[in-house]
Amino acid sequence: MSDPQPIPSCCGTAPPAPGGSNPFVNGLWKQNPVFVQVLGMCPTLAITNSVRNALAMGLATTFVLASSNTLISMVRKLVPKQVRIATYIAIIATSVTVVDYLVKAASISVYKALGPFIPLIVANCIILERAEGFASKKPVFASLLDGLGMGLGFAFALTCLGSVREILGAGTFLGVPLFGSHFEPWVLFLLPPGGFISLALWLVTFTTFRQIKARRAARAAAAAAETVPAGQLVEVRS
Amino acid sequence: MNESLTHIFLDAFLINNFVLCVFLGMCSFLGLSSKFTTAWRMGVSVMFVITVSGVLSYGINTLLVTLHAEYLRLITFIIIIAATVQLTEMFIKKVSPSLFRELGVYLPLITTNCAVLAVPLFQTARGYNLLQSTVFAIAASGGYASALVLLSLVRERVDLSDIPNLVKGTALTLVLASVLSLAFMGFAGMGSGG
Amino acid sequence: MSTPVPPAHAQPSMANAIRMIRVLGVVSLLCGVFIAGAHVTTLERIRHNHEVILRSSVAELLPGATREVIYGVEPSGELTILSDIEEGGSRFFAGYDASGKFLGVVVEASGRGYADVISAMYSYSPEKREITGFKVVDMKETPGLGSRIGTDPDFLANFKALDASLGHPITTVKHGTKKNPWEIDAISGATISSRAVGRMLEASASKMAPVIARNLNRIEQGN
Repeated sequence: MSDPQPIPSCCGTAPPAPGGSNPFVNGLWKQNPVFVQVLGMCPTLAITNSVRNALAMGLATTFVLASSNTLISMVRKLVPKQVRIATYIAIIATSVTVVDYLVKAASISVYKALGPFIPLIVANCIILERAEGFASKKPVFASLLDGLGMGLGFAFALTCLGSVREILGAGTFLGVPLFGSHFEPWVLFLLPPGGFISLALWLVTFTTFRQIKARRAARAAAAAAETVPAGQLVEVRS
Repeated sequence: MNESLTHIFLDAFLINNFVLCVFLGMCSFLGLSSKFTTAWRMGVSVMFVITVSGVLSYGINTLLVTLHAEYLRLITFIIIIAATVQLTEMFIKKVSPSLFRELGVYLPLITTNCAVLAVPLFQTARGYNLLQSTVFAIAASGGYASALVLLSLVRERVDLSDIPNLVKGTALTLVLASVLSLAFMGFAGMGSGG
Repeated sequence: MSTPVPPAHAQPSMANAIRMIRVLGVVSLLCGVFIAGAHVTTLERIRHNHEVILRSSVAELLPGATREVIYGVEPSGELTILSDIEEGGSRFFAGYDASGKFLGVVVEASGRGYADVISAMYSYSPEKREITGFKVVDMKETPGLGSRIGTDPDFLANFKALDASLGHPITTVKHGTKKNPWEIDAISGATISSRAVGRMLEASASKMAPVIARNLNRIEQGN
């Protein structure tokens, strides 16, 4: 724990953060923790069998991310390199324990539905990844924004997944029935295999979007290169 | 609740398999299952860490309960896990430097594996005694290891086949995992004795 | 983690080690303060939430109940009144209406279902020696199949007057073959979950009913 070695990212490789962009928007969309970075898979798959649970989980994670990012950024210059990961984990565990109590105080039924996955936020790789990759290097306000953006991006992804699973699996949205009584729910989507399948579908959707965008950008660049006389500078926005 | 050891074992190993039914340890499951050799090595080291930290957490939790300091549970569990991982690392380094070189990268990952943290959380929530906790830890980690190995075997085969570009990578792994998960659903009902 | 191990490649000076220990000490102290603070501030609210849930489920199972007393059952069979709602262990709730009349008790039961443990509550009338209501609190049974044990009106009708006098064990029978008042008519397609309910009711009632019968006078007075 105390060796000053980089934390290995436990899931897919995160693309390098584009410099200069707003940290809030960055987390929410461009580097969405679930759809782009494929981090924090456990709650993403486990807690998305209804929209309500997905939202609650997303918000709890957002709170932990924002507060741990802020605190870590505050102490980043005081902590010796060798013990930084220990310090981060202590701070994250504290935020999670606080959230645990807050959720219990807000609603016992939500607390029961989220079950062990609230204490397990500690082990969510997004949080340690943001602590190490962002908050330990950047000023307090930017870290807060980054935490909020990443957290809300996570909540957004969870809600996307939760809606698909709840609508197909139970025929309801936020508990409100959408179809008539003749609707036979596709129960598989509420069960574990459905979680895997719907996340796979979302990932394919996102990849398709990205591919279409990349192809369009390439075509636009090619077209621009043809029409614009040589020697003139062109800014191609991709 | 007083559960028999067989029940606990079957439940954690198959019926509520940590990876395929409860969605724990997803990250390493998706990330480290591309090769059989890495998968089984990771599986075995996670089994070791889970069993040791599970037993240690049981002891610490008993201490916390007598001190009425249950709210420090989460933070102490994490410290125990981090310490166990550190110990495992030092132990393997001493005993087999070659294994350490192969496994080195993956060892620190175990700390952020939620399957490891879930074991002490579950065993305290269910009020298991020492023997039950040990069986539970072995079964849960064994379930994790076998799921990891199973997926890696499937992935090694699929690697050689022709797949549309669109689903290559994580999406395909997820589809394979869902098929495995469907298969594991067949174990439900085994423990109900009905 | 509490005693930082120096990295192998550089021997840190004593001052450095002291600094590490100091930082870790201060951080863990602050963390402890935060956690204890959150614990204390939410304590009341969490207890209130538990009470609301308990009260609504007792009122649902014992219509008309406005007050409840929690009895803990000691291993010796003695009863103690529990003031802390979060205290676990073997316990039941006695419900009383506005005039203080004893209505019945509500008992928690749990048992292994198809997928995971099913936990439920049922109301028991010591006077009629019958189970008069049943409610699933938590389960992970297959949605649409086993989960019907919590919603199916025909299945729940089994528990309007289920004989729990313990002369015959409570048993679950195949759908449509219920003949005796101590039998539960299973849901077709959810036999395993239905059987699990029968088993857990039998286990719980055979343990609790004698204790309740023995202490009935005391429970009726609510002390």
